[in-house]
Amino acid sequence: MTVANRTIAFTLNGAPVSAAIGTHHTLLEVVRDTFGLNGARESCGQGLCGCCTLIVNGQSVSGCLYLAAFADGTDVRTVESMAVEGKLSSLQQAFIECGAFQCGFCTSGFLLMSEQLLAQNPNPSEAEIRNYLSGNLCRCATYPEVIRAVRLAASRPQER
Amino acid sequence: MTPFELLEPQTLPEALALLSDDDAGIRPIGGGTALMLMMKAAVLAPTRLVSLRGLQGTLGSIAMTADGALHLGGLASLSALEHSALVAQHAPVITRAMTHLSNVRVRNVATVGGALAHADPHMDLPPVLAALDARVQIAGPLGTRELTIDELISGYYETALKRNEIITGVQIPASAGRAAGRCAAYLKCTTRAADDWPALGVAVSFLYSNRTISDARVVIGAATDRPTRARAAEALLSQSMGDATTLQKAGDALAAEVQFTTDAQGSAAYKRQLARVHLGRAVNAALAQT
Repeated sequence: MTVANRTIAFTLNGAPVSAAIGTHHTLLEVVRDTFGLNGARESCGQGLCGCCTLIVNGQSVSGCLYLAAFADGTDVRTVESMAVEGKLSSLQQAFIECGAFQCGFCTSGFLLMSEQLLAQNPNPSEAEIRNYLSGNLCRCATYPEVIRAVRLAASRPQER
Repeated sequence: MTPFELLEPQTLPEALALLSDDDAGIRPIGGGTALMLMMKAAVLAPTRLVSLRGLQGTLGSIAMTADGALHLGGLASLSALEHSALVAQHAPVITRAMTHLSNVRVRNVATVGGALAHADPHMDLPPVLAALDARVQIAGPLGTRELTIDELISGYYETALKRNEIITGVQIPASAGRAAGRCAAYLKCTTRAADDWPALGVAVSFLYSNRTISDARVVIGAATDRPTRARAAEALLSQSMGDATTLQKAGDALAAEVQFTTDAQGSAAYKRQLARVHLGRAVNAALAQT
């Protein structure tokens, strides 16, 4: 990245960090290129596919459409924060048990969005899961397995 | 994207002072979900962006006014609308529309003011607000003014906003609220994925008493170059019982009076047929709310 013209400070997966950025850089670029967190990916680049999902102040955003400058002073979380001390979250475990991915490119976005859904709605119906995840695309079409995984994780709330 | 100057005022007067009516390179940015797409596509290469996010505290509220209108702050996010108890009570058609507008991440960031100022005809909120007789509040260097949605959105990506004006809020009058007996519905057709841009949006609202519709409003989006009232259809619906014959006649009138446009979501002929059929479905959906 070039043309860094300001410094932002924020919390990244629980740790205070700062980064030299250009005002035209996206938060996704900073998370990947400055901090080497490659779980979030740019796929469609238009906010449609969910591969670049990041959590800013507790809310999901499309990292590819979010100016890095707007993250100054915020709390940013990526998929890399889900496993604690090497132990997968129950949602991650459920995705593995249900085979809720094939190539895995979209998985980080599905995981973070599913985590948001379960935080707001601990026991979602299939229709609610479909609606909430309608903005995440899986080109391997593992949608039925994703829905099963979210329901499985929802059935084990105490482990989350 | 090309580099630009990013300014972050904390008050409305500061923000207005940083904009310019003469310089097309200076743009306000709210959530930025639409502007970012335009900048990434190199359709827009601003020299200066004036972020309105610092005004979220003052212009982000959702509240009832003293005269019973529902006020939506220009910087309120679409998910704030989606989860607002006041919106659900006064204008439940907005709550229902939000759950199928774009996706959760975009709704978390995109703002009410941005959804109006952008003036992409495929957006869902403008026809819904137009059907609710909403007034758009605008601040500029010389003071404030109010426009209807019809007056605000003048064409395809075109508005009556000056470059140095900011949408501060939207008001839905008490007479358009649920408590005044107004029923409303918004239906849209997407031709590929559920969260795709629609080929058609139909917003209807009307009063309903003694099994009779009155003061009907019908607004078409997505299938047209701007949100468009269908007044002949409105006239047929008003003073009717919303029966099948009337709905068919109103659908035919709508198909004849509205100028449909062809785009990636479908041909004008296809959208005309969608609209002819969906007007009746929208009226029935609104009647189901009574």
